[in-house]
Amino acid sequence: MRPAPATVRRLIFVLMLVLWELVPRAGLLPELFLPSLSRTLGVLMHNWAEYAHALTVTLYEVVLAMLIACGAGILIGAVIGGLSRVRQLLLPVFSSLYAVPIVILYPIFTAWLGVGSQSKIAFAGVYGFFPVMLSTAAGIQSIDQNFLVAARSMGASLPQQITRVVIPASMPTVLAGLRLGGALALIGVIVSEMLTAAAGIGYLVSKYRTVLDSPRVFAAILVILVLSVLFDALARWVERRALAWQTAGRREPGLPVEETYTGTTVPA
Amino acid sequence: MSRSALILTRLALLAMVLAAWEWLPRWAIVNAALLPPLSDVLAMFVTILGRSQVQEAVAVTAGEVVLAFMFAVPIGACVGVLVAESEYFGQIFRPMLFYVFSIPKSIFLPMFILVFGIGFAQKVAYAAFSTVFIVIMSAAAAVGSVKADHVLVARSYGATRAQVLTRVYVPSMLPFLLETLRISMIFNLTGVMIAEMYASRSGIGQLIASWGENFQMPQLFAGVMLLAAAAIAFNETVRWLEARCSTWRT
Amino acid sequence: MQHVANLSELRAKEVHAAAIEVAELSHVYLGRDGKVPALEDISLTVGAGRFVVIVGPSGCGKTSLLMMMAGLRRPTSGTILCAGRPIDVPDPDRVGVVFQEASLFPWLTALENIEFPLSIRHAPRLERRRRAEAMLNLVGLAGFGARYPHELSGGMKQRVSIARGLVQDPPVLLMDEPFAALDEQTRMTMGHELLRIWSQTNKTVVFVTHSLTEAVYLADEVLVMSPRPGRIIDRAEVTLPRPRTYEMMATDVFGRLRERIWQKIRKVT
Repeated sequence: MRPAPATVRRLIFVLMLVLWELVPRAGLLPELFLPSLSRTLGVLMHNWAEYAHALTVTLYEVVLAMLIACGAGILIGAVIGGLSRVRQLLLPVFSSLYAVPIVILYPIFTAWLGVGSQSKIAFAGVYGFFPVMLSTAAGIQSIDQNFLVAARSMGASLPQQITRVVIPASMPTVLAGLRLGGALALIGVIVSEMLTAAAGIGYLVSKYRTVLDSPRVFAAILVILVLSVLFDALARWVERRALAWQTAGRREPGLPVEETYTGTTVPA
Repeated sequence: MSRSALILTRLALLAMVLAAWEWLPRWAIVNAALLPPLSDVLAMFVTILGRSQVQEAVAVTAGEVVLAFMFAVPIGACVGVLVAESEYFGQIFRPMLFYVFSIPKSIFLPMFILVFGIGFAQKVAYAAFSTVFIVIMSAAAAVGSVKADHVLVARSYGATRAQVLTRVYVPSMLPFLLETLRISMIFNLTGVMIAEMYASRSGIGQLIASWGENFQMPQLFAGVMLLAAAAIAFNETVRWLEARCSTWRT
Repeated sequence: MQHVANLSELRAKEVHAAAIEVAELSHVYLGRDGKVPALEDISLTVGAGRFVVIVGPSGCGKTSLLMMMAGLRRPTSGTILCAGRPIDVPDPDRVGVVFQEASLFPWLTALENIEFPLSIRHAPRLERRRRAEAMLNLVGLAGFGARYPHELSGGMKQRVSIARGLVQDPPVLLMDEPFAALDEQTRMTMGHELLRIWSQTNKTVVFVTHSLTEAVYLADEVLVMSPRPGRIIDRAEVTLPRPRTYEMMATDVFGRLRERIWQKIRKVT
């Protein structure tokens, strides 16, 4: 009898934490390369004020970037998904542009908006925009036409068709896009803070790297990892709540909602 | 809309964007110091292409991209096949892989710098690392796309393992493999760019970052244009191949 | 006595009044190679309370014709009267539609799906619930109201679809190959169930199908259509008594009718 996959995952997770603690302690890796978990946590606690301040800056940027990415993404995605003319015209253009590494635009954003929060918000907003837009378009475009015909046969007006059919039917894809877009907005903020910044948790990574203060670098990395785990868990929880109809009554409620692979993953 | 009408409309839109880029700064509606007119950028594009510094940077970047790709794709493909073929492994690792996508992989750059220094090897290692996960995912998806029915039919006609592999798996997976290559290249290029922009002494990413820091806007735009053109050209070539290879798919 | 005579006269009138009248209907659509005639000169009358089945090979436009009767599509020329009035837009008070694949909304429970047409009309919540529950009972799914579509079997989904089509109590029910996706046994059971529901509700039913057996088993009258352009090439009155039983399928009358329809279809394809 093999152990359940979830158990194995937990074991792997615990094992990684144990190794993080033991490998540096045993001297297998120098402290400079990998400070032990306890040391990293100690540094984090000791300098909590600094990290907390950096975290508020980062969170502020992430929230605004997510608002931009999701707002613009849903709006433009809905137009592209709903109007076949616009879709035919622009969707191929967007999928070509998707090949360009967006990170090379960041120097333009700093030149235009300065090294403060605005450039991070704008850059991360653009970063998260694409998956939200593409999956909203895909979600609306792929709605089963039968649903709309059925709604019309029952006398639904156009606004009713949109609120009662188009929105719930496209919800799974759109929410998956929002999760991805949100994650990318977070990634975008961290990347841009690491590249050029004067504040934020990504900035701490870079700042302490240059002075070779590894424990502080790893403290910042730990904060970022926890942040992205929390965001991911939150987004999945929202998806599960909103899409209960997909999984209701299925056994193994612990399993995540089926992944909607929209092909809109964006690199980081 | 017919195909030619579509293309014409797209060209018209492109012309409008380009015209705005040219004339808005010229008429001082936007600040020319922030957005240099298109013609200036194009002139600079030609100039920098002639510079040996830029040519060397392109060579370095291209080397990093190709090498990282050669590490990431085979490793990722093997793991991906493993994840797809063994249900048990899949159940363990699939959720972890999905989670990896929400982590900013750039936070591990400091470790790569500590281990490999700020050079060619570090760029290759980091880019391969940031690409390998998407290769695993797409390779697993490619294997998953092979229809069990087709394998069963081939077996029932007495196909050997090797024949099943070459006659069923490879043709079924071919379009997906090209898709894998295409998506992986996007990740790979991004990885190299982030690594070069973060800490580097050479490469196009480093040039773009330093032009940005020094407010050399025409150079910056020309550099962005160069890289964007290369990325789009690669992407479109693979897409064209994909379309040719998947004519049997409806 | 006078009273009774009047009443029976009235009854007779009601029964013979046409629920649906299609006159000189033609439809042409724009295909890749120009205009394609899809339906040509279709005239038919469906008496109130009758069960009429339309059969024909794939592509004969029988579904299109049904969609036009539902007001979901406009014919190029000709008229469709439903309960004496033209039908240009969907009117769920006059016509209920049951679709081929379960077109139930997966994000709504069975009960909420049945309530959907009522909620579109902003019917009061309690009224909605009461009528939807009654429909759920009628189709034999009492107690399954809280299930989502993916938790129901194919047959159960189509029962919900039928309940949804009937919930506004329209005089006419249009059915577009409702049992096509079901396995043979379920299909037979569902046909039988449909006849029971029909006899309990006195609806006029127009039913489109591929299956000749299903057609003869269910119908008062079978209309046979030819492919491209779709025309009505035969009308067969099914004289089998009601209620229908499975045993009737083995009778000569059934076999002869089925054969006659099959020969007609075979000739035109």
